[in-house]
Amino acid sequence: MENNLEIVTIDTEIGTEQLTETLTETKVEDESFLNFVTIDVWTLIFTWGNLLILFLLMKKFLFKPVRKMMLDRENEVKELYDNAERSKADAAAIKADYESRLSNAKEEAEQIVKNATRSAALKSEEIIAEAHETASGIIARADKQIEAEKRNAENELKNEVSSLAVSIASKVIEKELDEKKHKELIDSFIEKMGDA
Amino acid sequence: MNGPKIMFEIPIFGGIPVTETVTNTWIIMAFIVLLSIWLTHDMKKVPSGKQVIAEKLVGMLYNMVEKNMGKGYVNFFAPYIGALFTLSALGSLSSLLGMRPLTADFSTTLGWALLSFMMIQGNNIRCNGIKGWLKGFIEPVPLLLPINIIGEIANPISMSFRHFGNIAAGMVITSLLYGALASLSAVVLQWIPNTFINSIPIFQLGLPAILSIYFDLFTSFLQAYIICMLTMVFVANAGSEEAARGE
Repeated sequence: MENNLEIVTIDTEIGTEQLTETLTETKVEDESFLNFVTIDVWTLIFTWGNLLILFLLMKKFLFKPVRKMMLDRENEVKELYDNAERSKADAAAIKADYESRLSNAKEEAEQIVKNATRSAALKSEEIIAEAHETASGIIARADKQIEAEKRNAENELKNEVSSLAVSIASKVIEKELDEKKHKELIDSFIEKMGDA
Repeated sequence: MNGPKIMFEIPIFGGIPVTETVTNTWIIMAFIVLLSIWLTHDMKKVPSGKQVIAEKLVGMLYNMVEKNMGKGYVNFFAPYIGALFTLSALGSLSSLLGMRPLTADFSTTLGWALLSFMMIQGNNIRCNGIKGWLKGFIEPVPLLLPINIIGEIANPISMSFRHFGNIAAGMVITSLLYGALASLSAVVLQWIPNTFINSIPIFQLGLPAILSIYFDLFTSFLQAYIICMLTMVFVANAGSEEAARGE
């Protein structure tokens, strides 16, 4: 306690003066203390300076980087969620698109089938009509041909019959018959027969 | 009981005395800054180990400031309160390492309390204007002017003395206890005819550690918490609702 110097530095001026005095006095011992309860202006100023410096250093080395990291992560998570949400919406839109396209396609297919059926029906009708036409043409031609054949056959038959009749008649009557005259006669007869 | 020792003098302005308090503050500040650098070194997107602790602490601090003061104060006050709390708590805890606690020096706690006082008044003026600030002293009735003034001035005084008193008393009690236990040891061991054994303060082993849980650990954190909490509440109360919302 003897070493302890009584300095109550409530008054700054006097306090520091006393302090300097006592310090020069006690330089030899190199042990000087402030009072237990004292307001030392220099300590006060140092306290302010120290707290300010610590504030700045902690802000730079601790709060800013940690805060930045936390906010970055928060943003990233938010972004991820946003992206997921957006992808979900996209997927839903794509799905709706596909569904509408699918139903369109169904309709289209139906239309195509209907068209195809209709055109096929038309075509078949056409083909059938054509076939009919061709067939009737063929039939007509055949009829004509038959008619011609018939006529030919008739003519031939007529010739055959007349010559047959002449030969039969000549056989019957023996040589008295003028073949030429009689043939004409028979022919006219057959002609009359045929007409009848 | 001595006050803080004067470690050396800066030879300007007729000699600036640098006390034990100030040098201990520097040691603790260096420790805090190194700790901060270590904690934030090599941080990753996916946190692990020390980064989890750093983020937890910083997150808690920011939440506490936002809850007590409002969003508008977070940017400045969260780092300030963080620095004040760390310095106060570690400054008091330094007694565990045999250093003189910074907060057992009234000049330190008064410095912090005066800063709080200036912030309170400054925030009041910022939000209400000088007229509004002055008007606050004659509310609700002009008769209360002296009481209001005393009330404002009492804040830093009570704040600083509370903090200083708790830590200093702990320091005094601990040293008294050590003295008492040394005497008790001497009395109990005096029948042994050996001066070396007589001089062993056996009772100093153990008991002071239990008391130090209260006086050092508990009080250190409690007082740091109190001065921070009071600063936050008073500053926020002095300001307007808009300032709290950050408008």
